[in-house]
Amino acid sequence: MALRSLTTIGRKISEWNLLKTTAIFATNTRNLKQITQSETSDGTLVIAGNYVPSDRASNLVTVKLGDEAPCSACYMCKLNLDVKHTDVLILSQFVRTDGCMLPRRITGLCKRQQKRIGTMVTMAQKAGLMSNINPSWSHRDPRKRYRHKKWNSYWDETTIKC
Amino acid sequence: MSATKRVQQWSTFSRMWYLYDAQWQDPFHSAKILSPYLTGQNKPIYHPLNDCGDHVVVINSREIALRGDEWKKRVYFHHTGYPRGASWTLAWELHQKDPKMIMRKAVYKAIASNLIRRTCMERLHIYPGSEIPEEIKSNLSGQIRPIMPVPKRLQEYSKEEIDNYPKVFDFPNDYVLR
Ligand SMILES: [Zn+2]
Repeated sequence: MALRSLTTIGRKISEWNLLKTTAIFATNTRNLKQITQSETSDGTLVIAGNYVPSDRASNLVTVKLGDEAPCSACYMCKLNLDVKHTDVLILSQFVRTDGCMLPRRITGLCKRQQKRIGTMVTMAQKAGLMSNINPSWSHRDPRKRYRHKKWNSYWDETTIKC
Repeated sequence: MSATKRVQQWSTFSRMWYLYDAQWQDPFHSAKILSPYLTGQNKPIYHPLNDCGDHVVVINSREIALRGDEWKKRVYFHHTGYPRGASWTLAWELHQKDPKMIMRKAVYKAIASNLIRRTCMERLHIYPGSEIPEEIKSNLSGQIRPIMPVPKRLQEYSKEEIDNYPKVFDFPNDYVLR
């Protein structure tokens, strides 16, 4: 088994990051909505939706292909990374704060990559590698899980059927 | 025999004590690696009648990893010898009762079935945690390399590492953070 680590993937990605062309955009930067709940002193509940800038914009990876025509492939196909279910730093970008996989409308992946990433997120969660991104009622400690789910397990990515 | 030759003879036939960390390792793949050390088949002086096997100390046997859903699919059979004495135990149940048993059975299966099999198994020392008795720790002279990379949990990374890691995609406009 070839030993590969997250640092090598990270280095690969940062090499691509260096190739990134800097450009000036006339449109506004990405704005995300954040819904906050607060209670004032006289007991009224205030639910506010604020626009917040994305914290991913500075570290975003863009792939610059050669002088070919613009490619319609999705970004994971362009990056061509050998992602495993143990690469939690990549997989955790595709989940909500409760561990739920984001839909294709938001991730913008092709169908094959959405299925692959979704399956690997499930594998990482079953192995207890992402147990801090979970619903509030779940057991954070994998050892407190029910029956066979408490012990360590690993998966083979070639079993993903797509 | 000269003094150097005599010492060379002693060190050739002396027993080594190897350490093997079973954390996140598949016990059945590990058993294939460990069995030549126990029987002495990794040595050029090996002969079936030559008792030259080494000792192997396996630590963290509670942290072994099984592939996929093998914890609930693998079944261990035992028969007491009496009528209706058969019992089937799932791997996770066996591991809960004795965290050393799956590792021990995997190595026992990997050693060839002959009269010195039990003698070889006597040289295998398994500990469920990372604690080893002092008299065994003082013997250790080598280490066997783990066969699988140990994964790192997300909570073991610092916040700076997670924030500074390259992001593959950004949220679309008007995405509501959850
Ligand atoms: Zn794609």
